[in-house]
Amino acid sequence: MRRLAWSEKISWQHGAAIGWLLLLVFAAIGSLFLPESSLTPDLRSTSVPPLTFQHWLGTDPLGQDVGTMLLYGARTTLLVSLPAAALATALGTTLGLIAGYYGNTRLRFPCAYWLAAVLLAGSLFLFRLPQAGIARVWYPLLLGGTALLLGKQLQRFSLFRRPLAFPVDQLVLAAVTLLAAIPRLLLVLAIAAAFEPTIPGLVLLLALTSWTQSARLTRAEVRRLLELPYLEAAHSIGLPAWRIIRHHLLPNAWRPIATTFPLSIAVFIALETTLSFLGIGLPPETPSWGKLLALSRLSPSSWWLLLFPGICLLATTLSLRKLLTLGKIKSTF
Amino acid sequence: MKSFSFGLLALLLGCIGLTACTSQPDAPESVRIRWATDPQTLDPLLATAPQAIEVINLLHGSLLVGDYQSQRYVPWLAQSLPVVSRRDSLTLLTYTLRPEATWDNGQPVVARDVAFTLKVLNCPGLPTEYMRAQYGFVLDIELDASNARRFTLVCQSASQDIIGSSGDYLILPEYSLDPQGTLRPVPLPLLRTDTLAAVQRYPALRALAHRYRTSPPNKLPGCGPYTLTAWAKNRYLRLQRKSKWWARNVRNAPRWLQANAPQLDFRIIPDDATALLALRRGSIDLYPMPTAREFNRLRHSADTANLFFRVADSYDMTVVGFNTQRPALQNALTRRALSMLFDIPGLVQATQQGLAYRSVSLINPHDKLAYNDSLPLPAFNPKAAAGLLQQAGWRRQPNGTWWQDGKQLALGVSYKAEDSGHEIIALQFQAAAKKLGILVKAQPRNSELLKKRLRKGEIDMYVRTMHGNPFSYNFKPILHSKGIGILNYTHFQNAEGDRLIDAISVEQNTMRKAKLLRRFQTLLQQESPLVVLYFARHRLIASRRLSPTVQATSIQPGYDALQLKPNSSSRR
Repeated sequence: MRRLAWSEKISWQHGAAIGWLLLLVFAAIGSLFLPESSLTPDLRSTSVPPLTFQHWLGTDPLGQDVGTMLLYGARTTLLVSLPAAALATALGTTLGLIAGYYGNTRLRFPCAYWLAAVLLAGSLFLFRLPQAGIARVWYPLLLGGTALLLGKQLQRFSLFRRPLAFPVDQLVLAAVTLLAAIPRLLLVLAIAAAFEPTIPGLVLLLALTSWTQSARLTRAEVRRLLELPYLEAAHSIGLPAWRIIRHHLLPNAWRPIATTFPLSIAVFIALETTLSFLGIGLPPETPSWGKLLALSRLSPSSWWLLLFPGICLLATTLSLRKLLTLGKIKSTF
Repeated sequence: MKSFSFGLLALLLGCIGLTACTSQPDAPESVRIRWATDPQTLDPLLATAPQAIEVINLLHGSLLVGDYQSQRYVPWLAQSLPVVSRRDSLTLLTYTLRPEATWDNGQPVVARDVAFTLKVLNCPGLPTEYMRAQYGFVLDIELDASNARRFTLVCQSASQDIIGSSGDYLILPEYSLDPQGTLRPVPLPLLRTDTLAAVQRYPALRALAHRYRTSPPNKLPGCGPYTLTAWAKNRYLRLQRKSKWWARNVRNAPRWLQANAPQLDFRIIPDDATALLALRRGSIDLYPMPTAREFNRLRHSADTANLFFRVADSYDMTVVGFNTQRPALQNALTRRALSMLFDIPGLVQATQQGLAYRSVSLINPHDKLAYNDSLPLPAFNPKAAAGLLQQAGWRRQPNGTWWQDGKQLALGVSYKAEDSGHEIIALQFQAAAKKLGILVKAQPRNSELLKKRLRKGEIDMYVRTMHGNPFSYNFKPILHSKGIGILNYTHFQNAEGDRLIDAISVEQNTMRKAKLLRRFQTLLQQESPLVVLYFARHRLIASRRLSPTVQATSIQPGYDALQLKPNSSSRR
């Protein structure tokens, strides 16, 4: 009975949104089965309008079929936005959990390890890391191992056993403030322009510059949860920190993050499209909706280069936003 | 009442502010030309951008200038072409400067200015590597004691190319850059042959280099018809015709000494669509080199009533270069195989809409005598390419890839990021190479970064446009071993190639020169350090506000700015 009531609440708009997103996934999977030659530029049919034989959605100024480009573009969109959103959420949630739970005083290390860490940082500063060869891998490991051993040995002395707090909350908040202070698009543009464009590189870049929102949300939720009696009880009976975080904090703090996840996918799609439009971030041969939009500048009279990717983008963003309300409906039952 | 006064004051201040911000209307007789990019620098020694060269040629003058109509060098600052005489094995070229030619301060342009310029072109501490390679044939200059306007250039040879090139550099004002005349005692031969000794003996050279580098090149006075009046970076650049332009005193001044437009306004509009809109709205008068697609579309649209459309065969060639020093590209057979993966007819259609023509090599097919028409045009033939790769020692693996000595055939193709035509070429090559099992990465790069990496030899293959001219054949900077590190981006080193390039530049007999050029084209096709895909046609769209005499020209920038003038009957 309850199940029926929930499904009754789902409007045709929700159905259309889910339908479009499924279509997007099928298009992305379908592009895997397209022949390799489908992206070869047809030099004798450049900027051909739609409803032309062999090019039903027309071609771009490079002679590439717009329909094929849209299919491949769907794959690129999913390949970039989904992992980037997942990675940014995971990173933000982890940092938010740590910052919220440990605060500035709860995470403590003996003086010995602090001293070892300072020595490690100093040696890294003084002796440059090898740039190539196997030494590039083992040299940092060697330094790290030495620092750990040194810390352990120093603990023998009572002077170095005194614990010192690690202000993890302050550091995370400082990083959040720093990233929030710089306009994200500018930051991404500046970094993307300096490196060779690849899809994994772009995913990493987007994730590393966009984890702040989920970190902030998680931290706030954890701070609220920590005030609740059952968590105080967990502390008082001496449950280990990882257990409190894993079993009591994460499941409760996860809900707002999960709700905003579709929205962050939509944000990443918009960002990826902007970067592709500007010709940064993705290799030039990688088809994307943003690139199709950018190609319309080369041929201003080719309206189909604006229309079709524009529709795809609009439909995807609206569908993801509609999923947000679906989450709310679900949570009321 | 108080708030009313404040409101009124704010309104008045706002009006004043808006009035101040409103751009001043264009002078009624200015000619407005579209540029896609800013010239960046107007330093005659440093400038490489076509826009910069265009402006520099309007601000400064040279002894001779290439005339696009007769396709010959014609006298500009010089009164006539040089008188050629011999002294032993050397050639003497005696020039006399026009008596009317003056600098902005009214001082005449004299032989000392030419001597000073040649010394600057060889001055250590200044970026003159290209100039040294280009004008290295001028061994010395001898001034005529009896006539301040006469001088003799001592050259290695007397070929037509050398005679033309001997006057094809901008003359710099000694009075402005070296008012004390500290460079006068420096002998040019010493500067050319032993730079170190010259610097040790004449410290003035170092001082001049420092002075030149620190003085803003925009302020450098020239003896050209125009003067720079405004330059807002990435927005516009304005030139004003000099009120006392010396060539007005020349009786029956030839076409190349006439400056028709009182003001030239270069508007920097990077986006093609915006530029087209500006042309339609009447905000610009001349749109040089629109995309071929838009050119054809407009030509067949209703706008034809308001616009002129002009086309001329140009010397601008789109080439693909191979870095011959890269291990994978050292073998000429590999380079020839890769050359066969360019679908040139398709690329001409896709990038130029047919407004281009093909050539077997660097020589323009219009030069019937020198063009080697017995050579075949590069053909798109992946099957033959596979055969050549095998001959070159590459072995195809079961997965389709090509390997040699444990290394896979994988290349990068670099091109200017903002050039869509070059991107089409790179993507077509990439697709054809992929079918053959060759991994190719398309690498769009910023223009300056691309040049830097090309010079250093850090690029496998590149696509770029080269600007040629019909006046002389000097391949030294681009294909001679001495050009490596300057403009020889292919890093091509070939003993026979060097010998031919040297021989071409000094050969006086036209028939023998043509034979050498034909041999050189054969060598280029065999060695394939670069492949000429096509020569473009210069396209021009002009508004009817300009006089209908506006013409597209075969050489850069595709029009003659001196000949542009507003139509007297038109009103804005």
